[in-house]
Amino acid sequence: MFVLSCGFVILIAVVLVVFIVGGYNSLVTLRNRYKNAYSQIDVQLKRRYDLIPNLVETAKGYLAHERGTLEAVIAARNTAVTANTRAAQNPGDTSAMKEISSAETALSGAMGRLFALAESYPDLKANTTMLSLMEELTSTENKVSFARQAYNDSVMAYNTRREVFPTNLIAGPFNFGPAELFVIDKPEQKDAPKVSF
Amino acid sequence: MDFFERQDKARRHTAFLVFYFIVAIVLMIGSIYLVVAALTGAFQTKNGADETDNSVSQVPVFLATAIGTLGIIGTGSFFKTLSLARGGRAVAELLDGRLVNPNSTDAHERKLLNVVEEMAIASGVPVPQVYVMDGEPGINAFAAGHSASDAAISVTRGAMTMLKRDELQGVIAHEFSHLLNGDMNLNLRLLGLIFGILCLTVIGRILLQTRGRKNPLPLLGLALIIVGWVGVLFGRLIQAAVSREREFLADASAVQFTRNPLGLAGALKKIGGIAEGSQIQSHRAEEASHLFFANGLKSRFFGFATHPPLIERIRALDPSFDGKYPEVVLPDVPVQAVPPPLPGASPPPPPPLTLTAKPPPLPAIVPPPLPTAAALVAQQAVVADIGQLRPEHLQYAIDLREAARPSILLAARDPLGAHALICAFLLSKDSSVREKQLDELGRMTSDAVRDETRAMWEDVQQVPAQGRIPLVDVALPALRRLSLPQFEQFRSAVNRLIACDNQTDLFEFMLQKIVMRHLDTRFYPEHRPVTQFYDLRPLARDAGILLSATAYAGADDPTQAQAAFAKGADSLGQIARTEIPWLPPTECELSHLDAALDRFAQSVPQIKKNVLASCAETVAFDNVIQPREAELLRAIADSLDCPLPPFVQS
Repeated sequence: MFVLSCGFVILIAVVLVVFIVGGYNSLVTLRNRYKNAYSQIDVQLKRRYDLIPNLVETAKGYLAHERGTLEAVIAARNTAVTANTRAAQNPGDTSAMKEISSAETALSGAMGRLFALAESYPDLKANTTMLSLMEELTSTENKVSFARQAYNDSVMAYNTRREVFPTNLIAGPFNFGPAELFVIDKPEQKDAPKVSF
Repeated sequence: MDFFERQDKARRHTAFLVFYFIVAIVLMIGSIYLVVAALTGAFQTKNGADETDNSVSQVPVFLATAIGTLGIIGTGSFFKTLSLARGGRAVAELLDGRLVNPNSTDAHERKLLNVVEEMAIASGVPVPQVYVMDGEPGINAFAAGHSASDAAISVTRGAMTMLKRDELQGVIAHEFSHLLNGDMNLNLRLLGLIFGILCLTVIGRILLQTRGRKNPLPLLGLALIIVGWVGVLFGRLIQAAVSREREFLADASAVQFTRNPLGLAGALKKIGGIAEGSQIQSHRAEEASHLFFANGLKSRFFGFATHPPLIERIRALDPSFDGKYPEVVLPDVPVQAVPPPLPGASPPPPPPLTLTAKPPPLPAIVPPPLPTAAALVAQQAVVADIGQLRPEHLQYAIDLREAARPSILLAARDPLGAHALICAFLLSKDSSVREKQLDELGRMTSDAVRDETRAMWEDVQQVPAQGRIPLVDVALPALRRLSLPQFEQFRSAVNRLIACDNQTDLFEFMLQKIVMRHLDTRFYPEHRPVTQFYDLRPLARDAGILLSATAYAGADDPTQAQAAFAKGADSLGQIARTEIPWLPPTECELSHLDAALDRFAQSVPQIKKNVLASCAETVAFDNVIQPREAELLRAIADSLDCPLPPFVQS
């Protein structure tokens, strides 16, 4: 009898340990995954932030009378750089992700206006530097949206695992908070820098 | 000793290992039983039970202890092994590794990634995932995984920043030798078993804390802890014994790969020269100490050291070493490889812009001539080359990388770019079919993928035939970063693109085979093939398919093809000669080949070796390896998990 109860206690202990460790590890794995996914966005966003000043410099000579638009682009870009630095340090954090989302939305809007403006300047459209920059930006934009999709998928997987039984019992005590999606809610964002020349 | 013998040896080591562990476990059960019996005995006498009953009840007591102990160790090991099923990245993440972006622009990370990429191309394996342990200032590294598909290489921050390129190359070559020698699988199994024994002590600790009068549990707990540590000690001894021998072997292989003993020796000397040495700070280093490049733990008694003494390893590489470690100065490397243009900088000639709207006329960027694949190759050399790279291969890999358009390499390292690259490889030369394929692609995935693929088409045309598979190997780390839904879209898009033109050619077939085989283990880790065939006989028809297909690939004339087939079949020995059928082309199409390869992938190394050797015989029938044959042979080797370096003229 004594041996039986001893064995029973040990069995329960083993099952409990396996369950806790397993749930904990799966949450850590999923969290690492979305954090890694953000670093992929980060690479492309940085690339994009580096390209924008070049673009503005090139456009400056042609758009002398449109200073306001150009300045708005630079300002939006600088805000986005700060927001991204914060988000990259702590991907998934609610306020950081909201900040980068709105900064990126603003930047996309400003870029969209710049591109629309460029439409009416044939000289600018013919500039080869401008042309290659636009192409590079489009490609980077595509890469950002692709990486963002991967990030959002990973966040969804993490959030789901966090909320379903039985892992939700572990998420609370071990401080696995919800992660925030990275959404850019402007409808034209998808094809913002796409300009037909 | 060739690749297969080393693999066999690794498997035999595993068998020894299991034997030693069984001995250790039996001893542990025995000692736990003694404690339990003493405890129950004491209780029963106290309770005034009859002495004669006591001896009768010993059998169930023994059984209960045995089952309990086995249960704990078994559950622990099983669980750990399960969590390691994700492969190398499970271990890398366990030790706080950070996955390095394949398209990183940080100078140190770029250097590390380039060295790994070159080594992977040279040995014909997919580029492994690269991790950096940011919290580790010492110099150390490890490779982990079950096979080349899920391998991860992890280096400490110290190794990445303090080692020069050739020293880092030595370290990476050492790790690749573990990867190619089948050491990693053994190491993972060891991790699992040791963890199981460790569980005993954990449970012991829990029992120790229970309270109550007449409660025997704390005593039992104490016993569990002691016995558990004895078991762990056993484990460490085995771990150390296996590891020490293989470290010397890996050092020797690293020198053979790079033909530069001073690189590796330099790295080892630097370990001696810095205060941190090769120490790993992470508290989990204990479990994984046998994986590391150099001793990861402080000091160990002789029998427990997982690595030979540093000075011995250096002397083996550089006999003139005087035992004085050099002062280590940090090499002067700029932090950013490509300085980002400052906001508002004056007139911008953006340097990294290699992409232009219209590609410049072709002659300017035609890659330098590469060694042709139609090389004279002796069939013995093919088998001897497997998992055995030589400096020529490394040089070939470096040339190949330099010859590739920068825009293509850049794309291959980005998830979207890599996706587009693979799809662009599958586009038809016929422009109307191509448009149909692109439409289909856009519908199945997204406009972004379609546009990138369309843009890539031009670049892909410039890739020489023998450069295509290495590029695919380079693209794999980026593809591993897709999310599961993205991968599923990618998978079906690739199948659709291949089906679009109603005919599958050899290249399309092997591209799909290689990409999916390596990525499936990442996204569906549960579908791991298990060894099922220990004899060639049940595989005779599959061997016929493989050899017939190889023969048709090499010769247009059916009689010559049959002669080549016969030469290959003969090399399989007389038992199988009569049973291996010579098949008409309709019965050895790519779909048949696919099924046959899947079955061979589930056989033991010796069968793989024999069948690969006979394919090489068939290919070498006319003493010339055509590019087509070379591609097929590499696809076969890859499917069988036998990394075949590229064919180079020696």
